[in-house]
Amino acid sequence: MSESGPPEEPRWSGANTVWSIIGTMVAGVLAWGGIGWLLDRWLGTRYLVAVGIIVGMAGAFYLIVKRYGSG
Amino acid sequence: MRVPTLPLAREGFHAPGIEIFEWPDIVHLEVGGVDLSINRVVLQMFLVALLVWALFFFAFRAPRLVPSGLQNVMETFVDFIRNQIVLEVIGRDGLRFLPYLTTLFVFVLFGNLGGVLPLIQFPLNGRMALPAVMAICSLLLFISVGISSQGPAYFKNALFPPGIPWPVYVLLTPIEFVSTFVVRPVTLAIRLLANMIAGHLILSVFFVATGYMLTSLNVSMLFGVGALVFSVALIAFELFVAGLQAYVFTILSAVYIAGALEPEH
Repeated sequence: MSESGPPEEPRWSGANTVWSIIGTMVAGVLAWGGIGWLLDRWLGTRYLVAVGIIVGMAGAFYLIVKRYGSG
Repeated sequence: MRVPTLPLAREGFHAPGIEIFEWPDIVHLEVGGVDLSINRVVLQMFLVALLVWALFFFAFRAPRLVPSGLQNVMETFVDFIRNQIVLEVIGRDGLRFLPYLTTLFVFVLFGNLGGVLPLIQFPLNGRMALPAVMAICSLLLFISVGISSQGPAYFKNALFPPGIPWPVYVLLTPIEFVSTFVVRPVTLAIRLLANMIAGHLILSVFFVATGYMLTSLNVSMLFGVGALVFSVALIAFELFVAGLQAYVFTILSAVYIAGALEPEH
């Protein structure tokens, strides 16, 4: 156990990082894609869902780089 | 007439499909418009719940300092969750979640093992109901842990990651919301469900095909012998998947609880 000495990375943390990165990507697409889809339905347009997906991916990338990029 | 080369491409062979997950009602029950019918899967769920309860009850009814028999076996489960999951992921602070995580692990494991048990031969978590309910339990648990340890600041910490200029929150907060409160439980449930569905389908197709080829009275009986040998290996693989998925479900629940206990750095 790592109660004394320098803190070491636990074994599970690598897998957890990968899962949260995948989760963030999916969430980005879902959240902004969903907002775009709702706006499409509301405004009667057809392209906002695509814009939303791209915006969501960009946001997710930004979040991932911010959170995991430095470490 | 041309005879198909593949032994299974002839007539008479019907590969089992997704319909093997549908079971007819044994007792039809409807309360206030809600379908509460009991079918084979529900019966199996009662059985597994009873089994898990009985195992723990009789193992720890009169615990001894030097464990033997059933107590020994069940302590292995508790020790495994305590040392490999709780202490590893959450730390000593997480020991109060040991009962929940142990129950979760053992219940998911025994539900999964139904898929390879002769005569039962159905993985309980191959239906969405159980994985979904357990994922919702974990979701509600980590939200309440977050609120009780951080107060209302939990939502602020979860939705507004630190170190980001404030206009960007318009972009990021919806993503954080979906990722924490929607994607987490949904992936937790689907990962378990999909693994169990795939495993059950593979086993069913393999065994039906093995039986079909072995009784075909022509050259494909040779393939049947090979398939029979391989299907034993598949059962071992499904045993492994049953344990692994129970472990993954439990450790991810623990990771989410650990994340709710303290704000992100």
